[in-house]
Formats: sequence, structure tokens, C-alpha cells
Amino acid sequence: MDIKEKLKQVLIEELNLEDVTPEEIGDDDQLFGEGLGLDSLDAVELVVVVQKHFGVEIKDMEEGRPALQSISTLAAFIEAKQKG
Amino acid sequence: MQKQSETKNSWSSRSIGGDWQHRAFYLAIRLGGRKAAYGMLYFVVAWYVLFSSLARNRASYYLARRFPDSSGLARLRHCYLLILEFGKVLVDRAVVGILGPKSFAVCLDGREELLKLRDENRGLILMTAHVGCWQLAMSALGFLQRPVNMLMRREDGDIDRHYYEHAGIPCPYQIIDPTGYLGGTLEMLGALKQGQIVSVMGDRQFGSDKSSARVDFLGGQVAVPFSAYKLASVTGAPIVVFFSSKAGPKSYRLQLAKVIRVPQLKGRSAETFAPFAQQFADELEDFSHRYPYQFYNFYNLWSSQQAQTEPTDEES
Repeated sequence: MDIKEKLKQVLIEELNLEDVTPEEIGDDDQLFGEGLGLDSLDAVELVVVVQKHFGVEIKDMEEGRPALQSISTLAAFIEAKQKG
Repeated sequence: MQKQSETKNSWSSRSIGGDWQHRAFYLAIRLGGRKAAYGMLYFVVAWYVLFSSLARNRASYYLARRFPDSSGLARLRHCYLLILEFGKVLVDRAVVGILGPKSFAVCLDGREELLKLRDENRGLILMTAHVGCWQLAMSALGFLQRPVNMLMRREDGDIDRHYYEHAGIPCPYQIIDPTGYLGGTLEMLGALKQGQIVSVMGDRQFGSDKSSARVDFLGGQVAVPFSAYKLASVTGAPIVVFFSSKAGPKSYRLQLAKVIRVPQLKGRSAETFAPFAQQFADELEDFSHRYPYQFYNFYNLWSSQQAQTEPTDEES
């Protein structure tokens, strides 16, 4: 399973997204606000989830803001960190 | 899909006084010091209490809960004392900025415990409320020698100045806007991970009502934010509840009321964090009993429709 698919799955499981399937989440859908509709508390949870499932730490706002735009940006961030 | 619910706050940081009234007090401080400003304050507050139904109404929500058996003249007296003490806090804050920090002595209870908590290196969440003069209290925490990040919202049109603005010095804190990107949670998380201090108000809800828990307070239920408890759960940072109170004409007391430890908890529901928010509310209620005229939330905290009410022009 690639990072994007795994991300979608853990997002649904860990953030308790009801009535959402991985297929319904577009790679480029916005995670917050419009799109998936996550909020600020979900952001905190998401940071934890990324560390728990991918071993990657989002240290601060500078890293987090661009990374947490969509599944694509987050997957790219994780991949880069894992390689680095 | 989830739907984000954005709501309006039922409070505002804007003052009910005009700009010229603030400037008159600043001038009085420059010319005659704190006592001159206090002298004006007694008359100004009396005018507001007698002739401004707006001022009385805004004070009434808290006073009805804190002094449920009072009415008529007794209620009017409570109203006068509450607004007078609030006015003194605003004057004191301006005095510190205009005449310097040595104008007031700040006594800190719990210094050693704070140092121990800091040395855990998990960051520190300082949780206070709109009581006493929290701005002065913050100025007494320099000994912690850690950057302080303050979650603070300021309305457009808020003309009241903070002490550092009077003094013409840079803001000593990193301000995090709770209405900014993701409510500032990522900035707070980043600061805590670096062992820094994050200061939050535990008594007022910002933005989405998804982030608030209902707790018992002064005989009713109020909505308080629970983001800080979630952050504490994620980072392991202790939550230090502290309150400032005016202890004398030229002195303030800063008390460490409680340390709240939030274990790692799964989920983000209000119910999960409500027990921790209740611990804070209990301390705040205890404070209001000890210092009945130093509680400065001039809006209806107890309204079950709080999120739907229109913003009011009110002082923070």
C-alpha cells in the first residue's frame, strides 16, 4: 500500500471520520475547512497520527502548514522525511 | 464528511468607553500618577453604574450567579465594586506601561514548583482566566527563562492598550491568534515540543463550538475551550492553572492554583476532556468566591445559546 492510501485509511480510523471511505478522499482535496472539513483539533491529532504510523515528526508551523494541505502534500512530506 | 461549524463569540474585546475617555485616564496617569486616575475612576464608574443600562446588564450575568440573593441597592453596590475593580486593573496596566514596572510589586506563590515543571522539558501550558490583571502576572514570569507564546485575540477597534504598548517596547510575547490558521494549534504544538511556554485563557471559547466542553460553574453550565487539554495530552506538557489578584493598591499576587496532568487519551470529543476542564472551572469558581470583584467576563457565559448570540462591545 502506498503512503497516500495508507494515509487515507489511518485518517478515517484515527480521526473517526464517519461515513467516509478512502475512495471518497481525493489526493488533492483540502484537509481543513472546505474539502474534508477537518478542524484545529484534528490537526493536533493528525500530527500525532503521522508520527505514530509513519515515524515522521511535524515539528512546527513552518513544516506543518505546507504539509497539511492535502493527502498529496502530506504524503510527499512523509516520503521526503523518511528518505532524509 | 465532517462539516466544520464556525460560530460567533458572544464576547468582544472592544471597550464600552470611547477613545477620548481612555486618553483622559492616560493623561491623568502622566500628570498625577495612579491616584489621580483612581480619583477619576470613582466618578466615572458611578456614572456608568447609575446611567448605563448596558454596563449594568453586562455585569449582571456574573453578579446574578455570584450573588444570587442580592437585588436592588445591594446588587447596584456589587455592580459598582465589580466595575470599579475592573477599572483599577485597566488603570494599573496603563500605569505599568507609562510609569514603569516598578510601580507595582508582584508576589508569586509557587515559584519553585514552576521551576520544577519547567525542568521536565515537556513545555508548559500556563492557563489563566480573565481575572485580576493577567498581563501584570505574565510580566512576573520572566524567571522561567523560556519564550512565552500567548494565545490572544484582539478585536478590530479595541482601543485599550497593553502595558508594553504604553511603554513603547516590543511585545514580550509571541502572539498566537486563535482565529488564525488552524486556530493556532500547530504553533502551540510546535512551541511545546521545543519546551517553550504557551499561555492560554481557559475561560473563553474562540471560534468553533466543536472545541468547547460544557462544565459546571457557579450553579450553571458554561462552555470552555478544551484545545489546551488535547495539546497537553499529546505533548505531556503539564497545565499550570494560575490566577492573579489585586492584593493592595500597589501590589498583585500571582498564585499557582493547580497543576492538571492530562494522560494520553485517544479521540477529540468534548466528553473526553470535560473532566480536566472541570478541574479548571472548579479552581476558577473558588477564585470568584475569594475575590468576587476580580472576575471580568462581562457577558452571559451561562447562555446555552451562547454560540448563536451576537457579539457585544465589551472589554477583555
